[in-house]
Order: sequence, then C-alpha cells, then structure tokens
Amino acid sequence: MGKRRKSFSHTKSFWMFVAPALLLFFVFFILPLFLSIGFSFTNYDGWKTMEFVGLENYKKLLVSGEFYKTLARTFGYAIFSLPFKVIIPLLIAALVTSRYCKGITAIRTITYLPVLISALVVGITINWMFGQEYGLINFIIQSLGGKPMEWSLNPFLATFVISFASNWASTGFYMIMYIGGIKNISPELYEAASVDGAKSYQAFFRVTLPMLSPTIFIVLLLSTVNLLKEYALVQGITSGGPGTSTTYIVQYMFDQGFTQYRYGYASAIGVVVSLIFIVIAAIQFKMTKGGEVD
Amino acid sequence: MSASRNKTITTILLTAIGIVTAFVMVFPIVWLLMSSFKDSTELFAYPLHFLPAHFSLDSYKGVIESGFFQYVKNSLFLAVVGTVITLVISAMCGYALAIYRHEISYTNKVFAVFLLGTLIPGEILTISQFTVVSEIGLYNNIWGCILPVVTTTTGIFMYRQHFMTIPLSLAESARLDGAHEFKIFTQIMMPLASSVTVSLTIFSFVWRWNDYILPLMVLSDQDKFTIQIAIKSYIGTMGINWNAILASSILSILPIVIIFIFLQKYITGGLAATGVKG
Repeated sequence: MGKRRKSFSHTKSFWMFVAPALLLFFVFFILPLFLSIGFSFTNYDGWKTMEFVGLENYKKLLVSGEFYKTLARTFGYAIFSLPFKVIIPLLIAALVTSRYCKGITAIRTITYLPVLISALVVGITINWMFGQEYGLINFIIQSLGGKPMEWSLNPFLATFVISFASNWASTGFYMIMYIGGIKNISPELYEAASVDGAKSYQAFFRVTLPMLSPTIFIVLLLSTVNLLKEYALVQGITSGGPGTSTTYIVQYMFDQGFTQYRYGYASAIGVVVSLIFIVIAAIQFKMTKGGEVD
Repeated sequence: MSASRNKTITTILLTAIGIVTAFVMVFPIVWLLMSSFKDSTELFAYPLHFLPAHFSLDSYKGVIESGFFQYVKNSLFLAVVGTVITLVISAMCGYALAIYRHEISYTNKVFAVFLLGTLIPGEILTISQFTVVSEIGLYNNIWGCILPVVTTTTGIFMYRQHFMTIPLSLAESARLDGAHEFKIFTQIMMPLASSVTVSLTIFSFVWRWNDYILPLMVLSDQDKFTIQIAIKSYIGTMGINWNAILASSILSILPIVIIFIFLQKYITGGLAATGVKG
C-alpha cells in the first residue's frame, strides 16, 4: 500500500516535470504536424477559404513540372556541395589533431567561428566578397588581368557562391565532429601501423579513414539534411535568383504558402518533402543504433 | 639527423597549411569589418583597398539613427527570455526522464515523442506553426517567435544524458531526509548539471539571436523587428543599402564574437557537436 502511494506520487512528480516541455511541444510541433497533413487536403488560403479538396493538391503537385524542377535543383545543389562538406572538415580535423601542426587551438577556434553566425549574415558576408561590381574577388580577378565573373547573373556561379557560403559556415561544426571521432581512435592502431613502416599519409588512409567511417557517414547525412533545407543563407545572397535558378524546396514552399496564399498546396509540398527527411532520419537512426540514445 | 629534418619540414608545412586555413576562414569577416568603416563613395570605387582610406563611422551612425537599438532590444528579449525558458523546461524534462527511469516504466516512450522533433526539420512546419501562432493571438508579437522554438530535443537530450550518470541513491537519500521532489531537483541536482547548463545557455542564446524564419513571418511592425529581420529589410526592393547591411551585420556578429572569446572552451569542447538543432 505504502509502496503504491509512493509510486503514484512519483508519477505525479514525473508529469509535473515533463508537462511544460511536453505541452509546448504538442502545441507547436505535434499540432502543426497534424495541421500540415490536414491542410494538404484542403484549399486553405491562410485566411477564410478552407474546403476539403481530397487529393487535389497532391495530384497537382505530382504533375507539376515546377515542383520537380525545384526538387531536382535542390538535390543538384546538395550533391554539388556534399563532397566539400564532407572532405574539407575531415582534412582540417586531421590537420589540427596532428602533432606536427603548431597553433592548433587558434586554427580550431577560428575555423569554428562562422558556425555561430546567422545563416542570413553568412550569406551576406560571402555575397559581399563575390559582388559582381566592386566585389573583392572580381577585383582580384581583374587585377590579375582576368574578366570579372557574373556571380549573380550566371546560375552556376550563383549556386557556387551559395555553396561556398554554406561550406564556410559549416566546416567548423563538422570539424569538431571529426576531431571527436579521431580522438576515439586507439593510439595502438597508429603504433602498429608505424611498426609496420607506414608513413603518416598511409596511416591516414589505412587507420584514420576506416576508423572514422561512422563519423563520416553521420556528417554525410547531416550535411544532406542541412543542404536540402537551405533557405536563410540563400536570402542573404541571391534570394533565389537569377530567375528561379537558386530557389530551393523550402523557399518554393514558402513562396506557394506565404506569397501565393496557397497554404493547402504548400502543406502538400511539406508533407511530400517530409517523407524525404524521414527516410534520411530512419537511415541515420538505424546506422547509429537509435541515434546515440541510451 | 634526416629524420629530425623531415619532422621540421613536416611541421613547417602543416603549420603553413593551418595558417592559410585560418586566414581563409577569418578573412570574410575581416573584409566585412573593414568595409563597414568605409564611406559610400569609397565602398563603390576601384581600386579596392584593404584598409579604409578615410576611417568612417557613417554606416554605423546611419543604422543607429534608423532605430537599430530597438532591434537590439527585441533580439535580446527573444534570446534571453527564450534561453531562460529553454533551460527551465529542458532541465526539468531531461531530469524527470532520467531520474524516474526505474519508478516509471514509460519514460523512454515519452522521450521517443520528443525524438519526433528531430525527424522533421522545423522549416517544413513553419506554415502551420504560423497558423497556430496567429490563432492564439500571437501574430506580430515577439512571444509568437519565442514559444514555438523553446522546446529543443537537443536540450532535453543533453540534460537527460547528464542526469543518467548521477547515482540515483543521491535522490533516494534526500527523499529519506524528507526533501520534496522539486527541492531535490533545484537544490541538489541542478548544481551538478552546471556544465550542461552553461553549454545549453550559449547555444540557445546563439540560436535565438540568429533566428530568422519565424520572426520574418510573425513580426510585421518595424519597431518589433529583430536584428536579423532588420538586416533583411535593408535588402529592399529598391536596391540594396550596403552601408546599412555591412554595419548592422557587424553589429549582429559582435555579441556572438564576445561570447565566443570568453566562453570558447565550452563551445569547441565535445558539446559543440551536440548543438545541431535549434
């Protein structure tokens, strides 16, 4: 009897501790999640109209050339940026964990700094260097006798600038993840490699890389997710232009919703895109055996 | 002899690469800073110089006169209040999920609900979050930018993991002494989690300071804008006001850099990789 009362009081305490977070989570995450799914079956305009239209939005979406183009452009941007996202931080991490490199704390600190800057200001900072007129990069190119590049008029160059900014901002973050991975590698493996006569670069390819493969995989997934949802950064550079050549899926969804007042249609986009993210999260969950929980 | 010479060459080579890396990483910010001290004629005149020819504070005067301190105030309110709420609710929730794990059979199921939050990016839900914010009357209200984002699975996770490592006997003996559950939490357990509190404070402050999408959608009156939204407003339809953008961008980075310099060891330590989600 006494024991039961005690466990009842624990139940009460437990729920009181959890309640504030759970309540806010339900109102601002779970509820919107169901609203999105619900809206996607209506012609909601964000104001007065909200009629059930069944699968109309999905039918329109799945035959919309614009949707597929935007999706393809988003994936194109992600695939173009991924190698840099994964490899550059790895090389820097290898550098700042090497005993031959001096000043590693300073290098680490400076590399991490852009991580803390808002995506919008990251975009602006890089955009300022790549300005078509009066930008530093074009000034240097011209000083060396080259022709100024059309960073904001050429779709490929605009994508490159966005990718550059994105990499600049994320390198420090992934570097820290790699450093954690490298520090977990047993020193004995390097000793064994050195006994076998391996040079440092051979040790990097034969010990560091294979032992880091779980970390590399996580960086790959995280970068993919972050690239696919790129939005604020682009607003600091091209705002989606020239034309729509750097309009990615999140911006497309916002345009449809907040600019065109097609909340229903935008919600359908959200649902379809969520499926992509859920698949990625499921892979991550499986590979990390439960997202490193427990 | 040759081995030690090889080592010296390797050291020089790797250190040089390191210096170049640091230079490339920091240069965009330095260039932005230098440009912010140039007046509008120098900003758009070839040839470009690294140092401003006439050191000018006009850009800063311009943004401050256009009401920048109001934006700073709004951003500070969002960041400070948002962070305090995040700390309180994450600590309470993470604590309960860890400390009652033997008494209550479904703690893991409750935690799994929060893990849903990591499954779908917040951006995807913005439109219906905005609908909820409007329906409860928080449109054009800073609270409409705070309440939707304060619950972070990362924060709950950090506290939960930390309290898992604390022996349950500590809570048991306090209970035998007659302490209330809430008192055990605030007076015995929270001081033991100060490292998590410091890390989460830093990250939460930075996340909120940098918040963009929700404030952009929710705030409509200019005097309610946060710094980020003010900066975006300088990229107008009538062309870009670069002087204002450069100065306000630098001012927006300033608190972050200050935090970073003083609390660097908490940021680039192991927990930096935890700060994955706002």
